Amino acid sequence: MKYLSLIFRNISRNRVRSILTALGTMVLVLVVTLVWSVLDFLQKATSEKNANIKAIVTEKWQFPSQMPFSYAGPLSEGGPREKGDYRVKPDDSMTWQFYGGSLVQDPKQRNPLENLFAFAMEPRKIMTMMDDLDDLPKRDPKAAEEFKKVIEKMEQTKNGLIVGKDRLKLLNKTVGDKFKIYSINYKGIDLDFEVVGVVPPGRYDGSVFMRRDYLLDGLDQYERNNKKKHPLAEKTLGLVWLRVPDQPTFQKVAKQITTNPAFSSPAVKVETSSSGIGAFLDAYRDLFWGMRYLLAPAIWVTLSLVISNAISISVRERRLEFAVLKVLGFRPGHILWMVLGEALLLGLSAGLLSAGATWYFVNKVMIGIKFPIAFFPAFFIPIDALWWGVMVGGVAALAGSLLPAWSARTVKVSDVFAKIA
Amino acid sequence: MSKALSVEVRDVHKFFTRGGERLDVLNGLSLDVPQQEFLALMGPSGSGKTTLLNLIAGLDTPSSGEIQVAGAVISQMSEAALATWRTRNIGFVFQFYHLLPVLSALENVELPLLLLPLSAKQRREQALNALDIVGLADRVHHRPGQLSGGQQQRVGIARAIVTDPAIIVADEPTGDLDAKSAEAILELLVQLKSSLGKSIVMVTHDPRAAQRADRTLHLDKGRLVESGMLEHA
Ligand SMILES: Nc1ncnc2c1ncn2[C@@H]1O[C@H](COP(=O)(O)OP(=O)(O)OP(=O)(O)O)[C@@H](O)[C@H]1O
Ligand SMILES: [Mg+2]
Repeated sequence: MKYLSLIFRNISRNRVRSILTALGTMVLVLVVTLVWSVLDFLQKATSEKNANIKAIVTEKWQFPSQMPFSYAGPLSEGGPREKGDYRVKPDDSMTWQFYGGSLVQDPKQRNPLENLFAFAMEPRKIMTMMDDLDDLPKRDPKAAEEFKKVIEKMEQTKNGLIVGKDRLKLLNKTVGDKFKIYSINYKGIDLDFEVVGVVPPGRYDGSVFMRRDYLLDGLDQYERNNKKKHPLAEKTLGLVWLRVPDQPTFQKVAKQITTNPAFSSPAVKVETSSSGIGAFLDAYRDLFWGMRYLLAPAIWVTLSLVISNAISISVRERRLEFAVLKVLGFRPGHILWMVLGEALLLGLSAGLLSAGATWYFVNKVMIGIKFPIAFFPAFFIPIDALWWGVMVGGVAALAGSLLPAWSARTVKVSDVFAKIA
Repeated sequence: MSKALSVEVRDVHKFFTRGGERLDVLNGLSLDVPQQEFLALMGPSGSGKTTLLNLIAGLDTPSSGEIQVAGAVISQMSEAALATWRTRNIGFVFQFYHLLPVLSALENVELPLLLLPLSAKQRREQALNALDIVGLADRVHHRPGQLSGGQQQRVGIARAIVTDPAIIVADEPTGDLDAKSAEAILELLVQLKSSLGKSIVMVTHDPRAAQRADRTLHLDKGRLVESGMLEHA
């Protein structure tokens, strides 16, 4: 029998109480883990990256942004005017136009499930610029190789479509299928498509990609047929994305673009994706502040009290026992550590168990929690949560057991026995 | 070694303060216990027997006076130093046994050995040996709840002797036992004295128990009132 086993047996002595305390600890650690995971995630999403920054150019005064397509070329280069201006490399930019439509011609019979909403862009850029696809070669070289073939196919097929697997299922189509889409936003520009491939599973399972020149052809065709420009002809460009190597370059490019008179009507603004998300999240700033500085600490205090209560009761019940141990030669420090040890063992293991279970369930069973906000990828529990759990449980256990442990430590033998005598 | 004195108590005073009032429990008490003596302490309730025993065992310190036990002056030691000293020098036997209910007989006896630099094997051997001495070799894995009062007190005594202390103090060790079990426990204490050479200080209310001791002292209002009764063999 060892010291640790003595501690362990003291915990298992009152099983119901220990289990209830452990369960309480687990629930509270779960909440803290979730709160911290969300905060950590937002922190990472909104913290300004210092390298490899993606800048977003949009119309300054209007949302959704509707810029003329004539902006696309010069903006994609970063709007350089003078010698010495920074020039964005071809693979480091992309343009977004949005084309929405339905399989059904009659608007009254349309079912939203049969609608599609496509990013119109240059096929190559899907792999060089889209978040979570631009790193595919690094993450999954095999999938990247496969997807490259799909992109090549789209480059040979003007009316090609690349569709996410969930969307494909909703549309009830497969690769190779051909169909007509009746446009919703580009009225009168109905287009024939052919599905050439599927997006690698993940963030874009519900998305659709088409070629931007196919949409532009549609606009030209409309002008020829109707002897006038389509109402959206000069408003077709939604966003332009630019990748720049670092913050100073970002500042420089932003300045190049915003001071360039070519982009003054309509005026444009340049943001990073994190500042874009940051601006969006600003609305919730108080909420996050409250979560971090009120909710999490409040739970922590509650947790300490729960543990403190359980340990106090157990210490009070065992005053006589501590006195006996002292008679046998156990020093005050031994007693102190015995009580702290019980609390710590309980808190640490419950914390680890809870965080571990949360991590496993969210990441491996649910495969992340989907965030219903634009731009956001699915949300995962960071592996750090494991030591957060251990720490939250451990610190709460320590805080909660300090007082009872001290009172056990200072049990005076002669007092305890005087009372029974 | 000051020849054959296990315990020397010199002019010891002990008072407690309860609710602002001073309560004098021991008033200039002196006492010698030679090595290998079995001494019985008797006296009315509240006369200070337990208080004296606690002072000898180093569980409390006197208000004034000096106490020397097993060659060490313990009246000035700190609480932590006393604890360490107790492990090797004092075996304490309680009226109500006070075994840890979660531990088996063997583990209860092993408990004081955790404080000594021994291997698990040494601890186990020493504890089994102590249980053998008190005649409980066949009950080592029983929990206290599965043992009779007399058996529990044997475990208590095994725990008291497991570190091989020179002195055993016992506060009414038979007070909670029936006559037959009490007799067996007293017999065991006499054995420990004669075959292992222990000095024993025992508080008791039972004159028959006191008769098994070598000497009986009477305590009244913090003073020894009468000393040196019959000498036994
Ligand atoms: N730790 C203490 N604090 C205050 N008073 C105490 C303490 N210990 C003992 N006393 C008091 O000192 C007096 C002597 O107590 P003690 O326990 O020594 O008596 P005793 O002779 O052992 O009595 P009993 O036969 O009932 O066990 C009592 O009045 C008791 O209330
Ligand atoms: Mg007493």
